[in-house]
Amino acid sequence: MTMFRRSIGIRHLVCGSCNGCEHEMNALNNAFYDITQNGWDLVASPRHADVVTVTGPMTEAMRTAARATLEAVPRPKVVVAIGDCATGDGPWTGAPAGAGAGVELAADVMVRGCPPTPDDIRAGLARAAELLDS
Amino acid sequence: MISVGTTAADVRTFHEDVIAECENGIPAGAYADADFAHYLFLSAGGASTLSRALHGERRLHAVSGLVPLFSWDEREMAQEWGVRFDALPDDRPFYAHDGAMSAARIVHGEGIMQFVVGPVHAGIIESGRFTFSSGGETIVHLDAQLGYAHRGIERALQGALPSQAAAKVARICGGCSASRSYAFALAIEALADVEPEPEIELVRLIVAELERVYNHLADLAASASGAGYAVGFARGMALKERAMRLCHAACGHRLLFDAIAPGGLGRPVLEDRVPFGAELAELERDVHLYLTALFGTASMMSRWERAGIVPYETAKAFGAVGPAYRASGGSTDIRTFIPYGAYRWLPPSVACGASADARARCEVKRDETVESFALIRRALHELSDASLPPQRPVEPRPGRALGVVEGPRGTELVAVHVDERGRIERIHVISASYRNWPIVARAMENNIVPDFPLVNKSFNLCYACADR
Repeated sequence: MTMFRRSIGIRHLVCGSCNGCEHEMNALNNAFYDITQNGWDLVASPRHADVVTVTGPMTEAMRTAARATLEAVPRPKVVVAIGDCATGDGPWTGAPAGAGAGVELAADVMVRGCPPTPDDIRAGLARAAELLDS
Repeated sequence: MISVGTTAADVRTFHEDVIAECENGIPAGAYADADFAHYLFLSAGGASTLSRALHGERRLHAVSGLVPLFSWDEREMAQEWGVRFDALPDDRPFYAHDGAMSAARIVHGEGIMQFVVGPVHAGIIESGRFTFSSGGETIVHLDAQLGYAHRGIERALQGALPSQAAAKVARICGGCSASRSYAFALAIEALADVEPEPEIELVRLIVAELERVYNHLADLAASASGAGYAVGFARGMALKERAMRLCHAACGHRLLFDAIAPGGLGRPVLEDRVPFGAELAELERDVHLYLTALFGTASMMSRWERAGIVPYETAKAFGAVGPAYRASGGSTDIRTFIPYGAYRWLPPSVACGASADARARCEVKRDETVESFALIRRALHELSDASLPPQRPVEPRPGRALGVVEGPRGTELVAVHVDERGRIERIHVISASYRNWPIVARAMENNIVPDFPLVNKSFNLCYACADR
């Protein structure tokens, strides 16, 4: 199994983000960052995921769907909060929005930034891969 | 810029006034506050508001039965601001209610099936729920339910000083941040009676056009991806990355957050113009090569052709704006319709299409991208090495104002009410995506299911600024 070490499937979950973090998540797939070279893949289903990236402060409408998505991810899994909204430091934290998707979903890794750069996100994903390994 | 007609006449008369105004101007949307319902209209050179006191009853006759573009606005007014509408055609709660979205509208009939996509999407896409009713491969009806990114930002901004609110306004939606900041700045500057210097306006034009460039490149790449054309996607996304790096070179932020603020700029912009100009020229050359190759690919064109047709009458009735409207035979572009800032002396040539399909929308975005580079070059030339004047304090007087700009997806409108303490009493955002989402649903009717990605991406709307 060692040949698959640190090769991760990533599922992205948007919980009321402004789409800024999504622009940077999408950049991970462009020719400049190309995370497939790390053996990392952005997967379409939570069933295929090892890592769930979450963005946004969490909204009332997303709470149920977010929990269902996390439930659908097989263990072991790592949750990575991407961006200030998700880590609980964003402009909309608190009523009427939530406390941060990463805070509410007990993220294992917090990536700060508004939005974080693709390099910051890549570093957070590398940390998630390490956690899965340990 | 704004006229408020408080009429004591009955509900029916106000309803008729609004209908009449829809004939004269372009209806832009509606919202309510503690005391009034406001219906907004745009006409050449200006914006106007028709307002009615709601009194204790807060009762109105819905306009959306006759002018369907007000449907979302009136549902929102009903749920969030307690306006009690008579004859509201779609009276479902607009946002989640008690943690759940309302049931989707579906079509029943022999051979008709339903399937749901979302709210969590398969790609890296914002959350939303699409419920399709289809007969075999043909889509009969699409109910696009948004609201999953509803953060309650309008209530969160109440009571804030405009100067404090600016950074939050820039973070309502990442993809049209600069346009929204610009619209907010115009509204606050109108209330403060401040007009920024020409140099500042030139810089703001460059920022706004950079936003258009990176968005349109992403939209074209995504439209290629929606049709399964991997090379068109990969090359387009690489160019979008370079455009984002150019944004960073201009203002230190890849998505231009805080570049524009009331009174001028919110961070240092274009201090070092020589390297910026060189990078811009290189990117412009490569974008031209990309556009020629993309639109010269026959298989790509044949996928876009006749996909997601929106007839002019539909576009007008449902309130399409921006490239979506201009691809269907419309011609309104706020930069020339209600000129602001440096567009008053550097007007763009407005791109229009006629075939009303995904191809027309992509062609409008292609032509606008080319024009944006030309505008940026002209503004840079005019700016030369002039130093930028220092930021001026902006102290808005009490009142209301509208800021309207042309963002990448069309008309971006921000209505602001400032109270006696100089604080925001009410702010309402009407984004181009909010106006255009119902058009996407209409565009899908009678199209096949596999064309949804490419039709959807030919609009490539945001969710965050529609949900707020």
